[in-house]
Amino acid sequence: MQTARPGSTIALRLAAIVVGLGALLAIVFLLSKNGQVSTQLFNGLVLGAFYAIVALGLSLIMNLTGTINMAHGSFMTLSGYLAFAMVSRGTNFWFALIVAPLMTVIVGVLVERTLIRPLYQKEPIYSLLLTFGLSLMAEEIYHIIWGANGVPFSPPPSLAGTVGLGFMSFPAFRLFIALVLLLMIAAIALFLTRTRFGLRLRAAVQDSEMIAALGTNTQVLYMVNFALGIFLAGVAGVLAAGLLGLNPTSGNTLLMPAFVTVIIGGMGSLFGSIVGGVLVGLATSLTTLWIPAASEVAMYALMAIVLTIRPRGLFGEEGLFG
Amino acid sequence: MRFGPTRLITVGVVILLALAPFLSPLIHVDISIVNEVLLFTLAAMSANLLLGYTGLPPFGNAAFFGLGTYGAGLSIKYFHVNFIEATLLGTAAALLGALVVGPFLVRRRGIYFGLLSIAFGQVFYFIAYRFTDVTGGEDGMNFARPYLGISNFHVTLHGSGFYYLTLVVFVASILAFKLLVESPFGRTLVAIRQNEVRVRYLGLDSNRFVFVAILISATMAGLGGALFGMLNNFAWPLLMDWHQSGDFVLSVILGGSGTIWGPLLGSAIYVIGKDIISSYTNLWQIFIGALFVACVLGFPRGILGSILARFGTAPLSNESEEANWTQSPAIAADHHG
Amino acid sequence: MGSTLLLEAQEVSKYFGGVHACEGVSLGVREGTIHAVIGPNGAGKTTFFNALSGFYYPDRGRVFFDGEEITRMPNWRRIERGMGRTFQTPSIFPELTVHDNVALGVRSKAGLAFRARPPSGEQQAVLERRVDELLGFVNLVRFKERPVAELSHGSQRLCEIAMSLSTEPRLVLLDEPMAGLAESETERIISVIRGLHDRLGLTVLFVEHNMRVVLGLAEMITVLDRGRILAEGTPSEIAANEAVRDAYLGKEVLERV
Repeated sequence: MQTARPGSTIALRLAAIVVGLGALLAIVFLLSKNGQVSTQLFNGLVLGAFYAIVALGLSLIMNLTGTINMAHGSFMTLSGYLAFAMVSRGTNFWFALIVAPLMTVIVGVLVERTLIRPLYQKEPIYSLLLTFGLSLMAEEIYHIIWGANGVPFSPPPSLAGTVGLGFMSFPAFRLFIALVLLLMIAAIALFLTRTRFGLRLRAAVQDSEMIAALGTNTQVLYMVNFALGIFLAGVAGVLAAGLLGLNPTSGNTLLMPAFVTVIIGGMGSLFGSIVGGVLVGLATSLTTLWIPAASEVAMYALMAIVLTIRPRGLFGEEGLFG
Repeated sequence: MRFGPTRLITVGVVILLALAPFLSPLIHVDISIVNEVLLFTLAAMSANLLLGYTGLPPFGNAAFFGLGTYGAGLSIKYFHVNFIEATLLGTAAALLGALVVGPFLVRRRGIYFGLLSIAFGQVFYFIAYRFTDVTGGEDGMNFARPYLGISNFHVTLHGSGFYYLTLVVFVASILAFKLLVESPFGRTLVAIRQNEVRVRYLGLDSNRFVFVAILISATMAGLGGALFGMLNNFAWPLLMDWHQSGDFVLSVILGGSGTIWGPLLGSAIYVIGKDIISSYTNLWQIFIGALFVACVLGFPRGILGSILARFGTAPLSNESEEANWTQSPAIAADHHG
Repeated sequence: MGSTLLLEAQEVSKYFGGVHACEGVSLGVREGTIHAVIGPNGAGKTTFFNALSGFYYPDRGRVFFDGEEITRMPNWRRIERGMGRTFQTPSIFPELTVHDNVALGVRSKAGLAFRARPPSGEQQAVLERRVDELLGFVNLVRFKERPVAELSHGSQRLCEIAMSLSTEPRLVLLDEPMAGLAESETERIISVIRGLHDRLGLTVLFVEHNMRVVLGLAEMITVLDRGRILAEGTPSEIAANEAVRDAYLGKEVLERV
């Protein structure tokens, strides 16, 4: 009886995101006389896009299989290290940006097929504990291979400068990151709304009995879905390595904000993850400006406020990807 | 639990624990480590109440444990209270923390509960981490172990003295826990774990039960945390981190969730194992991680759970076919009205 | 037939993602009657039932129980007010024994479920007597100490009926009580439903798609189709109704009645 939301609604929402982000950027420009505030706003948006993309991957995996992937940050870190290993051996950055996430996906799929799959029928606590254990092991393995301290991983020279856009100039790498993440968000939305596989995925998330009716192989669906989530984490991992540094725990530091993003956006809502990410990013970076000591707590305060007003998160009550 | 083998086990375990100060040197384990096991177990039991009996994944119980530690530590450092007062204040701090975050958690189930408990637990971690002036921040906070506080009995407990005090608290807690889970209230919690919709359609406000379970759980964790703080004379933020919560949950699953003694078994393996491994290698985190993986894949019912299942007195299994991922509408419907 | 309405639904609608599962359904259940809601699969019967029993709240419309508005009353409170319900798939505590399944409801009614103190000997004796009485009514006494998961589907459903009676309701809502049962088990359920009405004097509202069962059991029938009311009336009126015939019923079914 319950039917999938028509694609047009999602396109509308997508347009709303773009307009909303545009409006936010406009505010950045308008406030650009106060350089500090506008810089922080812009940084907050970039950070928010990171949170959104990590949260999207988490949400996809969580919604379909009930797995809270505690190793999500470890996959990001892995992708970053793989890119670092390639670039430091002379590989082109752009090549590494594509290949490192794909290699990470291979590792991810192996983990999913061998370790996580047996747990799908069990309560979510088991896959949560398993991925938690994996993340502990991964952290130590990175530590052994690449050392406890961070490794230098900088963006290519072509992205090193700044780009002037009207009133203010942006660091080129941040602008590039914002662009890539935005493209990825758009691509995933299109994938879920416009392709047969994406539609099946959404249908499966809403009603697992429907997969059988659609004649889709559940296991393939789980695998591709997991791969998709890990790919998002992988790309974010490479970009984050260039922007925020790379050490054995660097991916994990993005995990908690991504959880908060999922909660604020409302579990199960793709749209919510995007809005939530931007809100968390902005809250964090603006608090850094005014009350640096409270920068981590800010997102939790935001979460508490949102949950008080809307107990299921901002978009939690709507259809799963609506 | 019927009497017979289980009562025998109970008596055996208590005797073993009572002899621990004499036995532990034989395996080159300091009594403070055994002491740590008992306090760790209190936290694991608090997680077990939610996980094994109520069916909620508690990933923020380290925050309550840490609130106990900081509550005791801060009151010793700034108000110079005695041992008993510090214990009570630490426990009260955890209860207070649960009263604040409980309302946010109480309507959530499944992974949503897990996520929220992680997130709200981290709030306390960051407060301890950032309020450097008061808490010492990342470096942690030292404080002296206070006098016991019983008049005419002016002593500070050390070594096995402290251990026996802990043991008394521990045995009392186990007894209280057993009475609780076998009480009508505890049985209702078990029913909620099995089928919350039906509990509500028997006219019971399940949220009320869950809320009280969270408060009791936090209080137990806080009690353990307060004593843990005074055992080490130290409090540090990582105690409240979600990794610590994960270790508590692991200990529950490892020993056997939904059993009385499972958390003790799991905690003993975890704490003593970690102590031994870390004396050989600083890569202990790999072993702990592998322990998680092995436990989940190898014996998901836990050691005690598997043994009990073999002898027919199956504990509450945690492997329902239909995982309660998100929240059922029957519960959701509540907060409109 | 009594004349007061024990349960009344006014224009109840429920939507899922823009699709109406149930649209403007009104219905009155008179005290002391057996009332049936029928309709083909996907007619919105269970949605309507869920809205009545507070599994979720209707998007539009109002629901009254015994004259009191309960549209947005939490489900557990409706049970306190005197409703009971069963589900299409028996909603039980699979790992608990039949006795413990029913005992929880009895403790709930007695106000003892929230207590940390075990009941006194006297209270316990009263509880046990009540459990036996309920199990006797559904004829499950012999399975008392067995985990419900081990019982047959039909017995699980009987256990669920005993559970829903344990809170001493005035109105019992039964969601497809005969679904998935063998012929012999269906007969057992039918006689229990008759017993609810004849022996216990309860009001019964049940959802069913087996027309033969409904026509033989109910005093009043509401036919739903695609989320709306198609017809309402006594069994003979429904059997004669053209629209019902066309939309839902095979002629041969009616001719047998």
